[in-house]
Amino acid sequence: MNVEIKETLDVKGLSCPMPMMKLAKAMKGLNSNEVLEMLGTDPGTKSDLPRWCNKSGNLLLDESELDGGVFRFLIQKN
Amino acid sequence: MAKLCMGLFSGSLDKLTAAGVILSGAAADDMDVEVFVLLQGARAFIKDNESKIDNVAEATHLKDEFINSLEKLNVSKWYDFFEMAKEMTNIKIYICSLAGKIWGGEKLGDFNYLVDDLCGIGEYLTAAEEADIHMFI
Repeated sequence: MNVEIKETLDVKGLSCPMPMMKLAKAMKGLNSNEVLEMLGTDPGTKSDLPRWCNKSGNLLLDESELDGGVFRFLIQKN
Repeated sequence: MAKLCMGLFSGSLDKLTAAGVILSGAAADDMDVEVFVLLQGARAFIKDNESKIDNVAEATHLKDEFINSLEKLNVSKWYDFFEMAKEMTNIKIYICSLAGKIWGGEKLGDFNYLVDDLCGIGEYLTAAEEADIHMFI
C-alpha cells in the first residue's frame, strides 16, 4: 500500500495490553489524516486493533502479516 | 464516553494485575473509570505497600510459576498499570473508608499516589448504577 507513513510504532515482543496503550498514546500525537505504521507480535492485537479503530473512529487502512510472526497495521487518524 | 465502574475487593497480586490490565484497556479506549477499593483491596494501597504484595488468590500452589512468568514476559507491575492508565484517561480511585481503617489508613495521606479520595459505600453503589459496565474483582 502506497501511503506516506508519519510514524512507526514498534511494539514487537510486548504483550497485551501494552500495544493498545502505546497505540492510543501515539495516535493522540498525530494530526488528522496522518498515517501510523504499527509492528507487533501479540495475537491479542489482531482482534483488538480493528475493534479499537472502529470505536475511536480511526481508519484501519491495511493489515498484513510479515515474516517472523510480525503483524503490520496502517492506521489513519480521523 | 463509556463509563466503567470497578469494585476492587481483592488485594492479591494476581487479581490486582488483572485489574491493572483491564484499566489499561479502558485507558486505550478512553473510558471514564471509577474504582472503589473494598476491604482486602485497601491494604495494597496503603503508602509503600504496593510493591510488597506477593500473595495470590487463585491457584496458590502455582504462585511461583505465575510470578516467574510475569517477570519473564516483562509484564508491568500492577501499580505501574494503574499509574499508566491514570495518565491516559480519567480514572478515579476511591478507598472505602471502613476498608482503609482496617489496614490503618484513616486519611488520604495514609495511602499511596494512586488514590484520589476516601468514600462511603453509597458512592460505589451509585456509580455502579450509573456505569455502562460494572465489574467486581
